Amino acid sequence: MAEITFRVKRQDPQDKKNPEAHWEDYKITYEGNLTVLEGLFYIQEKYDGSLAFRYCCRASVCGSCAMYIDGAYRLACQTNVKHLDSAGSPDPVVTVAPMPHLPLVKDLVCDMTDFFAKYEYIMPWLIRKSPDPEKELLQSPKDRKKLDMPIDCILCGCCYSSCPSVWGEENYLGPAALLKAYRFEVDSRDEARKDRLSRWDNERGVYRCHTIMNCVEACPKELVPTEGIQWLKRAAIRRRLFGRLK
Amino acid sequence: MKAESVTSHRGGMWAWLFQRITAVLLIVCLAIHLVFTHIVGIGDISYDTIGDRLAHAGFIAVDIILLAAGTFHALNGLRMVLMDYWFTSRKRALALTVVLWVVGLAALVYGIWALWPWIS
Ligand code: SF4
Ligand code: SF4
Ligand code: FES
Repeated sequence: MAEITFRVKRQDPQDKKNPEAHWEDYKITYEGNLTVLEGLFYIQEKYDGSLAFRYCCRASVCGSCAMYIDGAYRLACQTNVKHLDSAGSPDPVVTVAPMPHLPLVKDLVCDMTDFFAKYEYIMPWLIRKSPDPEKELLQSPKDRKKLDMPIDCILCGCCYSSCPSVWGEENYLGPAALLKAYRFEVDSRDEARKDRLSRWDNERGVYRCHTIMNCVEACPKELVPTEGIQWLKRAAIRRRLFGRLK
Repeated sequence: MKAESVTSHRGGMWAWLFQRITAVLLIVCLAIHLVFTHIVGIGDISYDTIGDRLAHAGFIAVDIILLAAGTFHALNGLRMVLMDYWFTSRKRALALTVVLWVVGLAALVYGIWALWPWIS
């Protein structure tokens, strides 16, 4: 049996008596391995059923359980407590907080409204203008390879929460939306480059990114949003100056 | 976030592109400037020797490019920083840009005026 303490940041802004943020400690006993998400279930069952957090897939594909764990952006379901820095100490304490710099709903649940509004704004779907082919739309393996990185984004919001440009300018699209714009820009099948261009080619779009690369450090999927954003900046020049628009 | 609030900021590509171009110009011109001031042009740096150097059209050109590129690069950098703080709305950002253009052009005119005896 192993024992570990979860120090969880709790806050219920709607609670009239105690709307302030505060830390609460919970002792957890477990055998074998324990993910942070399992620890949170344990707390919910054994100590406090009112603890709020998001999760869905438990397999690091849905992006719901992003939190600030032990001082870093992580997915709760992907994080084995044994791999955390604090796990090495004889009386381990793991801090679990919501993603910083986002409006809070309750406890570990952040308000992602703006995040998804910006995501939707860049039209994150395949747009075709020419008539559909008889059979499937073919794509060469080389062209498909270009999608490998951006397609792995699970929209967890870690990058967005970590980006200083987002903190400074609430209307900046942010790394996740721009990475998705890039994902369709490099898709050989997409035909809406002109429509999307004006949505990201401005100072609340790509030019607000100062390549601070916090997003790269934060991404639990090890993606590189900055690479996509820089690619878009160069693409804007190719398109506006040399008229290469499809 | 409202959709209009993103597109209300138009442009930005030119500022971004010129920030890169002026960066390259700065590296090249600063290198020339430093080499000729401190290595090749050894001897005392006095009003007369500098005047001799400025008699070459090439140096005048380098100095003016240095001035223009440096002013643009610095003020646009400042603009980017300030836009992350108070100058976030379209109106404020535009006002900031106009003010910085006036300041930059004034600096440029003043610099060229100082070099004028050697230009004419
Ligand atoms: S690289 Fe750009 S998008 Fe990523 S954190 Fe920095 S400013 Fe934000
Ligand atoms: S880029 Fe990474 S950090 Fe950002 S939303 Fe996608 S998976 Fe999450
Ligand atoms: S629960 Fe889906 S990513 Fe963690």
